[in-house]
Amino acid sequence: MSELSAKHLVSGVDHAAFPTFDPVATVRFYRDTLGFPVVHSICAAGWGPDDHPDFIHFFFDIGNDDRIAFFYYFGLEAPETSRGKGDVYARFGSDTPEFFVRSRHIALHVNSEEHLLEYRRRLDASDWPVEMQIQHETIESIYTHDPNGYFFEITRALRPVTPQEDLDANLTIDALVDILQQPGASMDALLVRKAELIMERAENWQDEQEAERELIPSPEGPVRR
Amino acid sequence: MTARLFVLDVPENVPIVEIARGYPGVSLEKVGPYFVLAAESNVTVDRRSTGVRHAVWYSWVGGLEGWQIEQWDRDAFRLVPR
Repeated sequence: MSELSAKHLVSGVDHAAFPTFDPVATVRFYRDTLGFPVVHSICAAGWGPDDHPDFIHFFFDIGNDDRIAFFYYFGLEAPETSRGKGDVYARFGSDTPEFFVRSRHIALHVNSEEHLLEYRRRLDASDWPVEMQIQHETIESIYTHDPNGYFFEITRALRPVTPQEDLDANLTIDALVDILQQPGASMDALLVRKAELIMERAENWQDEQEAERELIPSPEGPVRR
Repeated sequence: MTARLFVLDVPENVPIVEIARGYPGVSLEKVGPYFVLAAESNVTVDRRSTGVRHAVWYSWVGGLEGWQIEQWDRDAFRLVPR
């Protein structure tokens, strides 16, 4: 085991990549409307056994040194999008529930209401106006669809995430993994299992949090107050 | 038997806990960062009395012990013994 084996080493999204059949509109949306700089692109001749077309792979900066990227394949026919639901990558029948179609989306983060509303202003002045602005107790988001039909969100947090929410998330996921070992899993089974995990782990977690708060930094590392 | 409902202690959940603890026969304790509402019988929480909106109303419950949820809709959240 190396000293890295237990560490969380990744640092964000290098790129999330999507196909496009309309690079002109994609550039208008991401670069000209939202103001995301083009930061990289690759012009490549098709190669390989798969009859791969020539393509352009291009990237926009989405902040934090992270990037959203697109592939445009010359000569590849676009899917029929006049019927049904979904985007240019995934199409669904018109009877597919909207919640399912919208479940796969990209959400970018902003740090303030002022910044969220600035993106709202840019989108509303474009061909892709904001379709929904939703605020509930902890977040506020704006939504639209990009020119490829990808569901696109910009969101801000109304308060920082508290440490106990991280504990709660872990208990939820551990409970979910446990109950899915049996058929017929339900919200009821999850909440019953989660109550057991809360009884096993919540007190200890609280004690550890309090012990951590007692620590003060020193040249040799944190020491007890 | 006493049944217990666990609710994470975050600001959004506090109004619901405050309403529920005021019902007859309901007691409130803490286990780590969770509120624990305990009672011997059925408990019904009226949504409008809590003042919370949908995102919190449909996600405030952290765990169930001895109870099951009989109703969880826009009007009320109702627990009955399991």
